[in-house]
Amino acid sequence: MELSSILPIAHRELIVAIRNKWTVIFAFVFGSLVLAISYFGTITAGEIGFQGFNRTTASLLSLVLYLIPLVSLMMGTQSFLRNEGEDEMLFSQPVSRSEILTGKLLGLFAAMTTATFIGFGVGGVVIATQTDAEGFLGYPVFVLLSLFLTLVFLSLSMLAAIISQRRTKAFGLALLLWFFFVILYDLLVLGGSLLLKERSANYFIFASLFGNPVDIVRVAGLLSMKGGEVFGAAGAALLKFLGGYGQAIAALVVGLIVWTAVPILASFRLLRDQDI
Amino acid sequence: MIEVKGLAKTFGQFTAVAGVSFEVREGETFAMLGPNGSGKSTILKSIAGLQRPTEGTITIGGVNALKAPLAARKLISYLPQRVGFHDCLTAHEVLEFYCRLRKLPISRIDDVVHSSEFNFNGFSEKRVSELSGGMKQKLGLAIACLADAPVLLLDEPTVSLDPAGAIAFRKFLKKLKEKGKTIVFTSHVLADVEMLADRVAILVDGKLTAVLPIEELRQQIADRDRSLEEIYLEYASAA
Repeated sequence: MELSSILPIAHRELIVAIRNKWTVIFAFVFGSLVLAISYFGTITAGEIGFQGFNRTTASLLSLVLYLIPLVSLMMGTQSFLRNEGEDEMLFSQPVSRSEILTGKLLGLFAAMTTATFIGFGVGGVVIATQTDAEGFLGYPVFVLLSLFLTLVFLSLSMLAAIISQRRTKAFGLALLLWFFFVILYDLLVLGGSLLLKERSANYFIFASLFGNPVDIVRVAGLLSMKGGEVFGAAGAALLKFLGGYGQAIAALVVGLIVWTAVPILASFRLLRDQDI
Repeated sequence: MIEVKGLAKTFGQFTAVAGVSFEVREGETFAMLGPNGSGKSTILKSIAGLQRPTEGTITIGGVNALKAPLAARKLISYLPQRVGFHDCLTAHEVLEFYCRLRKLPISRIDDVVHSSEFNFNGFSEKRVSELSGGMKQKLGLAIACLADAPVLLLDEPTVSLDPAGAIAFRKFLKKLKEKGKTIVFTSHVLADVEMLADRVAILVDGKLTAVLPIEELRQQIADRDRSLEEIYLEYASAA
């Protein structure tokens, strides 16, 4: 793969995302989310006003786990779907198909990274000026995890678009992936663990954590906040089996890398044999 | 320059191309003529590396296009039947993108836009969303000309052009032909074929029914007092 072939494609994809206002819209959504959660986060307790980073990050994490997979899948599917005239011209250039896919993925990721940095960045600055800096270090880790989640779901959207080829089928598959990973998976794991004895259930929960990138990010986010009491079963099992924070974080990062790489490699393989 | 041997392409049960073989000589303009679904575009897409043949081989400038697709694609420029670009980009940005992709200097855009008879001027700063179908087709042709590749593959190139545009386009292709480019194009427009082609391949149901020098076709037109359309239909119905 040549960088000189990948970069023009990535650059074009970024420009298109910016001109189509996607980047601005997502930046606005992310920024509003941070500010709203921080300001109204404790309204049920009868309080109002900006909360510190610790509380805001914890609340944001749960929301981001729904939002980012959906946004990445939709944006990615739209971009990776075939556009007959455009693709025929692009794929007839002396550039390999994997270079084209890599370029598109990088461009989309750059667009989402820009939106994330602007949205969460502005929100973070406002919180920092309104509250103390306690728990501040967890916030950039949370942003980093959000980006990792974006990359994983952009890769999955690429695979969905290449498998489906047709617009309605591709968006259907993307929505199905979102529903499976964000809603259904945890219910299945919970149901499965109830059928097993305690020791087997722990192993099952530990293993199942790596079967879902959303869970990996959730547990990594909670670990980074060192919130042992809110880990839940998967986090507790992870710490128990791996023996400490360092090992647990490393295992989770490896898990996310695998979840990014596998859809990309599968997409390369599938597109190699497809007609344009 | 191009050698196609035993090319076949099937889509499930449907045979789009059935064992087609032909050669295109260097500097020759080769037209592929045939009704809809006769396999013209499939052959062109296979040469351009967009579709993988079920059987057969394609050689471009001595390079096996199936074994070394990138090396083969360096020798070609392809203009699809329906071009498409991102609406939010300007024509100049689109040209710049393809320049960078083919590792050409950006100054190449001016060479193509200003030196041709095919009036590329006047729309390079316009966004794609503001371009008409004909202008988009012109932009596609400008992209195809950027690389100055020895082989040009054009799929129904005048289909979205108005009569003035089609005439200008034919003149432009003639100029490219004089420069020694090897041109392969598909067309329904027999005027294109008559004016530009050195040889004509007639395809029916994925099979090659005849490959004729244009002089022979002209001779038949003169001797038998028939139009090119009538002669073409005779070949097509005889298949």
